[in-house]
Amino acid sequence: MKRDRLSPLVTVLLLIGAAIMLAPMLWTLLLSFKSNAALMADSGSAFAPPWTLENYAAILKGSLTTRWLLNSLIVASGATIGVLVLSSLAGYGFARLEFPFRRTLFVIVLLGLAVPEQAVILPRHQLFAWAGLHNTYPGLILPSLTGSFGVFFMTQYFRAIPKELDEAALLDGASRFTLFRKVLLPLTIPAQATLGVFTFLAAWNDYWWPLISATTSDYFTLTVGLASAQMNYAQTSGLGFLMAQAVFASIPILVVYIAFQKQIVRAMAGTAVR
Amino acid sequence: MSGLELIDVSKSYGATRVLDGVSLAIGAGEFVAFLGPSGSGKSTLLRIIAGLESLDAGEVWLGGERIDGLAPGARGIAMVFQHYALYPHMTVRENMAFGLVNAGVPKDEIARRIAQAAETLEIATQLDKKPGQMSGGQRQRVAIGRAIVKKPKLFLLDEPLSNLDAALRGRTRVELAQLRTRVDAALVMVTHDQSEAMTLADRIVVMNDRRIQQVGTPAEVYARPANAFVAGFVGSPAMAMLPARVAGHDGARVRIGLPCGADLPTAIPAAAGLEEGAPVTLGLRAEHVTLAPPATPGLPARIDLVERLGDRTYLYARLSDGSEIIAHAPGFSAVRPGEAVTLAVDAAAAHVFTADGTAHHPGPRA
Ligand SMILES: Nc1ncnc2c1ncn2[C@@H]1O[C@H](COP(=O)(O)OP(=O)(O)OP(=O)(O)O)[C@@H](O)[C@H]1O
Ligand SMILES: [Mg+2]
Repeated sequence: MKRDRLSPLVTVLLLIGAAIMLAPMLWTLLLSFKSNAALMADSGSAFAPPWTLENYAAILKGSLTTRWLLNSLIVASGATIGVLVLSSLAGYGFARLEFPFRRTLFVIVLLGLAVPEQAVILPRHQLFAWAGLHNTYPGLILPSLTGSFGVFFMTQYFRAIPKELDEAALLDGASRFTLFRKVLLPLTIPAQATLGVFTFLAAWNDYWWPLISATTSDYFTLTVGLASAQMNYAQTSGLGFLMAQAVFASIPILVVYIAFQKQIVRAMAGTAVR
Repeated sequence: MSGLELIDVSKSYGATRVLDGVSLAIGAGEFVAFLGPSGSGKSTLLRIIAGLESLDAGEVWLGGERIDGLAPGARGIAMVFQHYALYPHMTVRENMAFGLVNAGVPKDEIARRIAQAAETLEIATQLDKKPGQMSGGQRQRVAIGRAIVKKPKLFLLDEPLSNLDAALRGRTRVELAQLRTRVDAALVMVTHDQSEAMTLADRIVVMNDRRIQQVGTPAEVYARPANAFVAGFVGSPAMAMLPARVAGHDGARVRIGLPCGADLPTAIPAAAGLEEGAPVTLGLRAEHVTLAPPATPGLPARIDLVERLGDRTYLYARLSDGSEIIAHAPGFSAVRPGEAVTLAVDAAAAHVFTADGTAHHPGPRA
């Protein structure tokens, strides 16, 4: 890839911007390595040794933290896989198959984009309570699968694939499913990656729904669990521990970001389709 | 008949009729070109044969079997698409193997067929590349290769050359000509490039206005066009069409009068519709109209446009009544637009079309 050279002024501005963005994160990281007691005396002491891993040890010792991490992984992975499978199938259907009420259904999907979670969260709470889904993994995962964005996104992506490819595959004796599985689906991998990353991050970071749905600490996700462990609202005494929690919760996200950098940048640049 | 046969095929999109009772028979090893203006239904007909489009009425037979109810993949047909339609995520080898795998052809047989096709198409070194890493001409060959390995009974090609630059088009045209000697199948090619159709095809199917206008060898279609449309569409430059009237008969031959006053004895046998005074259209190809040598009689005309091709020059001219005519001159003509000239017409080669479009051609020379 050829890159344009940035002028020095732009470079400096970008560096300043990056520093402003990074500073709080580095500060968080730094504080997480200090004992609560030292920080209570003077948070400025973070710049000087002794540094310690005791906050991280405390997190891992908290008997439920690893369970919450696991919960978050299960919920975020479940949501991601579910959204990818459903969106791909639905997107293929909307883009390629003829069936009654296709347009109407697609309009309904689009309308779904305009419905904020706030509007449905109470009825959903009641529905899930009635179905006994609270404090279960399905209860935490299912709401993510109701989002329309993935369906809309994959439909657009499938539509952009030339129909000649379908026709070539049909003439090559492919069944509808072979065509989907062997020809079209592989071509949507960039879209799958983008959608997958965003779904995973959204599910990982979600706080509100797990807070409502999971009422026993066994089903807390990491976001809810860590917040519940933070009893000190003034946050003067447990600062190091709090920061370590924040860092701990971000690690999986960091991994996802690094692994899927290309897709995320591409999606942000709005050029998801090639 | 073991080739392709279409019986009374009709197709509409909504209220728009696109094909209207098309019937056609093609021999088992024949190369046929569908030629016609844009929107005449060539692609639609091809897609109906392939099974990519349903037909409203009619039958399609191939190799003695009725195929219009079969899935595209079950028809024994391979198609080369205008934009190649190679699978972008597969290597050339995988592209060529895909149809064979679906058909359950054994692995070693697949490898053998691919190796053979790659050899003849000179893409043997490219088999592990993806289509995106290849030039247009190479992709075209892969598309042809993908069709060949299936050993189909019928090849369909939709404007296979239209995406290539002029030089490559010439070369690929030669390759298509060779293709037919290598495969034991019928070929149907859609084109709106008539020189392509003329050079490649055994027979040309001229389509217009939802129907087949004429089926014939290139020579027949050129020399004895079935109607005014075919006459005007086939040949470059187009046949000049002059409004005229039957002036009388010289024995069994028709004499034609032009509005400019000229009276031309043609070689066209008298026939119904060619009674004296009947309004007709006179068709003249440029090769039968020349500049008259000085002081010989001819049609006075004024030059509109001069098209110099190097080996010959086409002169687009207007007769005194304003009707348009095209003449030719050998080599680089010095004639200029606006110049007044006299044209000599080989009236024995002229065609006549009656008002309903029926064609009358010169009879055997007396
Ligand atoms: N899917 C479709 N829906 C509606 N009308 C269509 C459809 N496909 C083709 N048509 C119409 O059918 C007619 C014939 O189209 P077709 O593509 O067969 O023409 P063609 O002879 O191949 O033209 P070209 O030389 O431009 O490729 C055109 O008038 C076109 O607008
Ligand atoms: Mg076409």
